[in-house]
Amino acid sequence: MDTVLSVENLKTYFYTREGVAKAVNGVDLHLDRGEILGVVGESGCGKSVTAFSILRLVPRPGRIVSGEIVLDDRDLLRLSPAEMRRIRGDRISMIFQEPMISLNPAFTIGDQLVEALRIHRNMNKTEARDHAVDMLRKVEIPSPERRFNEYPHQLSGGMSQRAMIAESLLLNPQVLIADEPTTALDVTIQAQVLDVMYRLTRDIGTAIMLITHNLGLVAESARRVMVMYAGRVIEEGPVKSIFENAKHPYTRGLLHSIPLPGRRRRQTDSRLFEIKGIVPSLFDLPPGCAFYPRCSECQDICRHEAPLRCEIDGQHQVFCWLYEPCRKGS
Amino acid sequence: MVRYIIKRILYIIPTLFIVAFLIFFLVHLIPGDPALVILGEDASPENVKVVRETLGLDKPLYTQFVLWIGKVGMGDFGRSIFTKRPVIDDILERFPVTLVLTTLAMIFSLLIALPPGIYAAVHHNTRKDYTFMFCTILGVSIPGFWLGLMALLFFSVKLGWFPTIGFVPMWEDFFVGFRYMVLPSMTLGLFMAAVVARMIRSSMLEVLRLEYVTHARAKGLGEWKVIGKHALKNAFGPTLTTIGIQYGMLLGGAVITETVFSLPGLGKYLVLSIYSRDYPVVQGCILFFALTYMVINLVVDILYVYFDPRIVYE
Amino acid sequence: MMTWQRLVAHKTGMLGLVIILLNVSVAFTAPWVATHDPLGMDILNRDAPPSMDHIFGTDDYGRDIFSRVVYGTRISLYISLLSVLVAMVCGIGIGAFSGYYRGWADTVIMRFMDALMSFPAILLAIGIMAVRGGHINNVVIALGVVYTPRFARIVRGSFLSLKEKEFVEAAVAGGNGDLVIIFRHILPNCMAPIIVQATVSLAYAILAEAALSFLGLGAPPPAPSWGNILSDARNFMLDAPWMTIFPGIAITFSVLGFNLLGDALRDVLDPRLK
Repeated sequence: MDTVLSVENLKTYFYTREGVAKAVNGVDLHLDRGEILGVVGESGCGKSVTAFSILRLVPRPGRIVSGEIVLDDRDLLRLSPAEMRRIRGDRISMIFQEPMISLNPAFTIGDQLVEALRIHRNMNKTEARDHAVDMLRKVEIPSPERRFNEYPHQLSGGMSQRAMIAESLLLNPQVLIADEPTTALDVTIQAQVLDVMYRLTRDIGTAIMLITHNLGLVAESARRVMVMYAGRVIEEGPVKSIFENAKHPYTRGLLHSIPLPGRRRRQTDSRLFEIKGIVPSLFDLPPGCAFYPRCSECQDICRHEAPLRCEIDGQHQVFCWLYEPCRKGS
Repeated sequence: MVRYIIKRILYIIPTLFIVAFLIFFLVHLIPGDPALVILGEDASPENVKVVRETLGLDKPLYTQFVLWIGKVGMGDFGRSIFTKRPVIDDILERFPVTLVLTTLAMIFSLLIALPPGIYAAVHHNTRKDYTFMFCTILGVSIPGFWLGLMALLFFSVKLGWFPTIGFVPMWEDFFVGFRYMVLPSMTLGLFMAAVVARMIRSSMLEVLRLEYVTHARAKGLGEWKVIGKHALKNAFGPTLTTIGIQYGMLLGGAVITETVFSLPGLGKYLVLSIYSRDYPVVQGCILFFALTYMVINLVVDILYVYFDPRIVYE
Repeated sequence: MMTWQRLVAHKTGMLGLVIILLNVSVAFTAPWVATHDPLGMDILNRDAPPSMDHIFGTDDYGRDIFSRVVYGTRISLYISLLSVLVAMVCGIGIGAFSGYYRGWADTVIMRFMDALMSFPAILLAIGIMAVRGGHINNVVIALGVVYTPRFARIVRGSFLSLKEKEFVEAAVAGGNGDLVIIFRHILPNCMAPIIVQATVSLAYAILAEAALSFLGLGAPPPAPSWGNILSDARNFMLDAPWMTIFPGIAITFSVLGFNLLGDALRDVLDPRLK
């Protein structure tokens, strides 16, 4: 397959007065051309920080400590700031959770779209305007010419997010990172917005890194999914394979905890399932598997050593000592 | 938008009435009979009575107030007891000096406040930030009139860079006039500079945390553009409000600065007329100052819309 | 309490506190710290530069400037503390009443407060002093009037938001009278911004008092108010610069103390106000 983005052993740490928080602690991922990769995990597992690391926008006091991020043969971590700026918005775009606060309230929608165009392409005002209005139309915003001159607070949540999508896809990026794109929207709007997003990215050929804690979203649209926990990837693979045959106890716990009406349950299971325990503090990660304290199937080795990658079949991989290929020597 | 402006203007009118009332009330409590002041202590009671009638002082207070307000509405602020000229003429003659002084002070303070304020916000919690904060606290602790005296002593007397006495209006001779205004406007503006610098820093700190700033960076904008265009425009709103409020301090400070530097402005005129108990002038001046302040704040409110369009819809 | 610990840990705030305490102790021990009688004239020694005998030199009347500056501490502290106290009492009273009872009384009162605030502070103080004449207590009244609206606004604002909270409902349901609710239940929760405003007002009050005296509209001479000393010194600035330097430093120093403390209080009590 044609890999457009590949991340190897990414480590991003936050150096604070209270200590070092290892937000991303050795993450590998790859994104193929045009595919949708779901990245799931609880709050604080490092999914957003991974996204920001790819764009090299990690805020102080965080720093990318090591790793390689390769976009089309170039290691982004080696680029100069100016070169990196050319990548942002042009080759890799990002949309954020709350569109209402992601758009600058002091500038019109049109201003902001046109700005994106004029930074990266040498367009004059009229060209840029036409292009932007056209894009607004593509994301199904009614009366795009009028909306072009309006301010973000004059748009509804759904429209704002569509405007964001328009802006992020204006330059036909290779990768779109969508960080919880529908979490802040009404349920009824979510489907519409996602629809627009998928349709356009398919037309352009943009790969999507869909970050969410909503497994349902992933099940519907992603081809592959990656599960993160406490700064590490603990399982990844094709959606079907993961959902039907999850290997890692955490993944299994996540899937199990989705309340589905009509799902067959044991008689004793009248309460909602929850994984016992809480996420470890990123300042104080256990030396071995991060999930160890909460795992019902843990072994002694889990406490001391971080699990290695084991291939289950083809693309499905898991990081867990339970599985044969993980035993040492493999 | 127009509705917003009209609403703001309508809001001022009752306040204006109360201000006028307070001024009238205040001035008419000043001890001493103006008629006696004019005629002298030994004047005969009949003469005093005649003068009082002429000045309208025999009528009940509320009538006097209404008459005064009516006249003020027409632009007639009465006549100075001493110069006999219409107060409004005296005011308009001197106001331009005060206006130039306060405007220069404001320009100067913005020039020295904005860059460090923004810089401190961007370098939050570093030693540069702490130094900045200390400097601003120092800036608001130094008494303006003393600073003026020290500046005169050092720059005019010792170094001879600026003239010590005299005055040439800037509209007569721009550069010469400017030299007379440099020290006064700089000392006047220092306090405001410190306040504005802190305000812009705190606004910027708030704004820089917001998502649209990260979004702007994610678009590929250079850091200068992110801070200077996206962040600053939003941060400037509250700062603008502060500037409006601080303009009041400028107007008040102008009174003192004009006294220290002997500038023929409205502030010095006010102080002199208080010494000489020239009530119509005192009334007129204070009213004029208050009016100016209100107009400035109105302008600020209108300009605010440019920086934060959301306000019109509230 | 956590706030106390954080306050003590705040270095510049503690510096401010030290400065204030220094000020207060000088004010209290003035008779012992001062080297001469602040009003005593030594005509033979007028306009003398700083020396061992007269640390800050003498003014045109032969009075020792150092002693005058020392006694000036008393005047500035007296006026600022008292005027802010007056402003607090009046402002809290007005603000609490306005914020609690709302209605047209609230609108009228707040319009009045707005009108008062639309005067530049110094001008209002000048105006009031012109009416009442030069006397130390008149300065207190003038500054008290000037700062009252600021406290009123803050208290009213707090009341507006706190009044809706549940603990107030509970207090009302418990059968407490209005006054009790206002003073025992709601007011203690507004103290943070009030304290910050009080410290800031103290700083401004010292500056304002000095400015008023400088203009001849403050504590009447020969009182050794710092503003008076500077006003006297003005004519001799060229020949005797020491007369102007030291009182100004004294003013800056005192104000600095309150500003530093005020800033620290703001950081500790309500970082959002930063």
